[in-house]
Amino acid sequence: MRRARPGWFWLAATWLAAASASADPYYLIVAGLGGEPRFEQRFSEQAEKLAEAARRTTGKPDQVIVLQGAEATGDNLRAAFAKLAGTLRSTDSLIVFLIGHGSFDGEEYKLNLPGPDITGKALGELLASVPAGAQLVMNATSASGAVLESWKANGRTVVTATRSGAERTATRFAEHWIAALSSGEADTDKNGLISAQEAFDYASRSVADSYEAEGILATEHPQIAGDNAARLTVARLGTRPAETPELTRLSARMAEIEGELEALRLRRDELDSETYLNELQALLLQLANVQREIDEAQAARAAPE
Amino acid sequence: MRRLALPLLLVAAEAVAGLSIEYGERPEELARCDRAAYRGKRAEANACYLELFQTSEELWMRAEAARALGDYRAANDAFKAAVEQRPDDAALRARWGRLYLDTHQANEAVQLFLESLERDAKHVPAKLGLATVAAGRFEDRARGYVGEVLEADPDNVEALLLLARMHLEEGALDRARERLDKALEVVEAKGLPPLEVYALHASLDLLNGQPESPWIERALAYNPTYGEIYETQAHFYVITRRYREAIELLRKAVELKPDLYSAHAELGVNLLRENKVDEAQRHLAFAYRGDPYSPQIVNTLRLIDSFDNFVVATHEPDEGSPYDPGVILRLHEREAEVLEPYVLALVRDSIARFSERYAFTLKEPVVVELYPDHDDFAVRTSGLPGIGLLGVTFGHLVAMDSPSGRAEGEFHWGTTLWHEMAHVFTLEATAHLVPRWFSEGVSVYEEWTTGPLPGRHLPIAFLEAMRDDRLLPIAELDRGFIRPTYAAQVVVSYMQAGLVCEYIASRWGQEGLRAMLELFAEGAETPAAISGALGIGAEAFDEAFADYLRQELGGVVANLEAWRGAQRDAHVRAEAREWARALEAAERAIALFPDYVDEGSAYLIKAKAYEETGDTARAAQTLAEYRSRGGYDPTALKALAKWLHESGDTEAAIGVLEDLLLVAPLRLDVHAELGDRLLEAGRAEQALHEYRMFAALDPHDKANVHYRLARAHRALGDTEEARKQLLYALEIAPHYRDAQQMLLEIVR
Repeated sequence: MRRARPGWFWLAATWLAAASASADPYYLIVAGLGGEPRFEQRFSEQAEKLAEAARRTTGKPDQVIVLQGAEATGDNLRAAFAKLAGTLRSTDSLIVFLIGHGSFDGEEYKLNLPGPDITGKALGELLASVPAGAQLVMNATSASGAVLESWKANGRTVVTATRSGAERTATRFAEHWIAALSSGEADTDKNGLISAQEAFDYASRSVADSYEAEGILATEHPQIAGDNAARLTVARLGTRPAETPELTRLSARMAEIEGELEALRLRRDELDSETYLNELQALLLQLANVQREIDEAQAARAAPE
Repeated sequence: MRRLALPLLLVAAEAVAGLSIEYGERPEELARCDRAAYRGKRAEANACYLELFQTSEELWMRAEAARALGDYRAANDAFKAAVEQRPDDAALRARWGRLYLDTHQANEAVQLFLESLERDAKHVPAKLGLATVAAGRFEDRARGYVGEVLEADPDNVEALLLLARMHLEEGALDRARERLDKALEVVEAKGLPPLEVYALHASLDLLNGQPESPWIERALAYNPTYGEIYETQAHFYVITRRYREAIELLRKAVELKPDLYSAHAELGVNLLRENKVDEAQRHLAFAYRGDPYSPQIVNTLRLIDSFDNFVVATHEPDEGSPYDPGVILRLHEREAEVLEPYVLALVRDSIARFSERYAFTLKEPVVVELYPDHDDFAVRTSGLPGIGLLGVTFGHLVAMDSPSGRAEGEFHWGTTLWHEMAHVFTLEATAHLVPRWFSEGVSVYEEWTTGPLPGRHLPIAFLEAMRDDRLLPIAELDRGFIRPTYAAQVVVSYMQAGLVCEYIASRWGQEGLRAMLELFAEGAETPAAISGALGIGAEAFDEAFADYLRQELGGVVANLEAWRGAQRDAHVRAEAREWARALEAAERAIALFPDYVDEGSAYLIKAKAYEETGDTARAAQTLAEYRSRGGYDPTALKALAKWLHESGDTEAAIGVLEDLLLVAPLRLDVHAELGDRLLEAGRAEQALHEYRMFAALDPHDKANVHYRLARAHRALGDTEEARKQLLYALEIAPHYRDAQQMLLEIVR
């Protein structure tokens, strides 16, 4: 097996520790028109699961907007974006999940909604209207690949279920993305947080595996664009950490060790294998001990007095 | 008309296909050239055809001359122009169809033959064209076309030869001889070329154990370069799986006629079946020069090219086994690491088992190829009649679909390999003289009794055939494989053959099967083998076997419709989530046909009904029963393993997961879970193996792989390796709590 060379994982953990404390993301979850009872039910269940993961992650239910069923109209969607545009600042982050059916006629992508559909162009403008410095938009609809290029923007990560607008079959991507948000397997760096990159990697692989297991050609090929996917948390696996002076001190110590680990990694090629592993072990043991202290402090705060 | 834009074909003018013999009346200008060709006077014949092509004012005659010269493009152009001139001429279209047969475009040829018959419903050459296509595909309808022709003209030589050939392919040698004698009488009386009659007579001698036939000498006296006679004989070796003997004959064919491209192609394909890859490639490449549009040649050359992506692992004979001749595995590089240990273990297990059961020791290493791309595997089987879609055995070489070549759960690769390995023994023990039915019968019987999947797996088509009295007498069972008369007859024949072997083993013991095998090795036909080994005549055997079937399966057959109704009911109720009713219907179906564990099995519905009502203990019991009868649905086995583990029966869970690997060996989660269960059971060495397989499949969560490996190494007492694996895990995921904890424990 090829071993992954760690790099930004450690820095990401540090960044997240800071970011998650100061800027919990805002979520907008839209489940479009199902058209058939089975799709209506599926999209509704998926929207609920996404909302549950979002609330668990932010700890602030009012930062999670869900539009589904008859509520998911174009007008309501525009209103939700207007509210976000008025609330968020450049230091905030916005996560948008779109599930349902999409269509593409060769020129224009549309998200199917109760009432008039909304075009990809209009959705792109709505995204641009929110001044959040970091954005993630996950479009799990059929034909979603049609918007990949046009939705790219600075600070924005775009995830689509399909490679292009030509992949028009109902997709499986959403269910695998949702599975990623509560999967320890998706959390490859084991920091208890699922980044957009981790969710994408897990979901896209699961989609491919599911088609392969059935022996059929895949009709969707998920895509990701943007360079901050690894730094953007989409879900938390456990409960939110408490914030105390002691925990802040320990977190700072952990960040220091992580910095030393990164420095060691950069020197890896200068060291023989045994020396590298010994130095790595020393730092990892320090990290483990600090981690244990943090976990114990968290547990103590959680325990009833 | 579609053919106007013919893209094709065409071979350079000097290319020579096999000699095409015409029995119909031909104008003297053409017949003169034909006579030179039949006598092997190639230069003279070519000059004659060329002159005719250049000077004849008859378009169709120019087309015939061009075809004989191998200039298929010119021939096609001339036929097209001729048909435009005379669109209602049935004979022209039938002749044009023959050109398409020369260039491997059977569907276009069939279209032309049908168009010919639209213009003249009794046109004999068109009927014979259709018969030729059908016979080449081993389709029984060939017989119908030939019958029509012979009814109108009992002396039609081409029809007599086609029928004789079909009889020979089915092993009906006496009937073949009758037709050939008649054909010989006609050609001699009419002064027609006798070469094809001689070739089939020589083939008849070959099938009677006399390959050095006097007919060969007669043919070569008539035409000293008639390599086709050896090629014809070789065909009958190939379809009876005697590839080595076929190769020797094909070598003689190309020696006699070096530009007999069809023989080079056959030689290449059969050398490949003997694992002689380089030599096969040389002959195929040469054949490609003369016949670049043959799908078989092109596909086989592509297959050989794809071998670059395969890993060949040679395993010397296992010193601990008196029977192991060595095993060579050709596996795709993408999956070789994972599949190799399981394939090797099963192959070696089968060799040990079959060597004892059939008192035969293999003399050459067994070669096993697994193809992830079904099309590659299909190329391996091209040109063989009634070959199952999952695997094929060419003596010591087994080729089959890899587990990744089909949807998960679609086939049980372990059983397929076991089946094919049984063929290795029946073929090699008899120098490939074993009849098809017996080889298949033993393989199916061994699947059911000693293979990795227990129980008979009888498809409904077999029970229907039994109910409708469509099973064949034992002496004619081969016909069901080679030229089936109804859609499911091949699979029905497999099952019948398996049940025949089961019956023999139950009444005469394994010794009965061994004795038959010995007689087949001596060249006995089925009736002689039955009476010699079992002391009973073939007809009496058929009656006794019918009694056995009634006793074993009569109840199920009688209740087939009731079972169908219960099955349908169970599925409908389950779909509606009416679990109590689904359970009742499923139990009814199981009571009527308890051995049915294949697609849509009622056991699965029964287990689901219990699960949905919260009774996982009974759900597990149901799945255990399902598994014991040979059920292998991967989702069901995974659930069974989980429930067994939850109930504390780790060893049983391990058994189920090991079974699951014989269906889905490339599933990451199964390797990981099996490793976990083995570790819990204190079987750390085996756990380590499973974790290594897990790692080889490149799982998403790399840190977790290293952590699992660390656990196994630690359990084996290798703390240094465990420490390294933990460091690798934490290097990827520094916050990995379980890995941190173990590292702290190890270094403390």
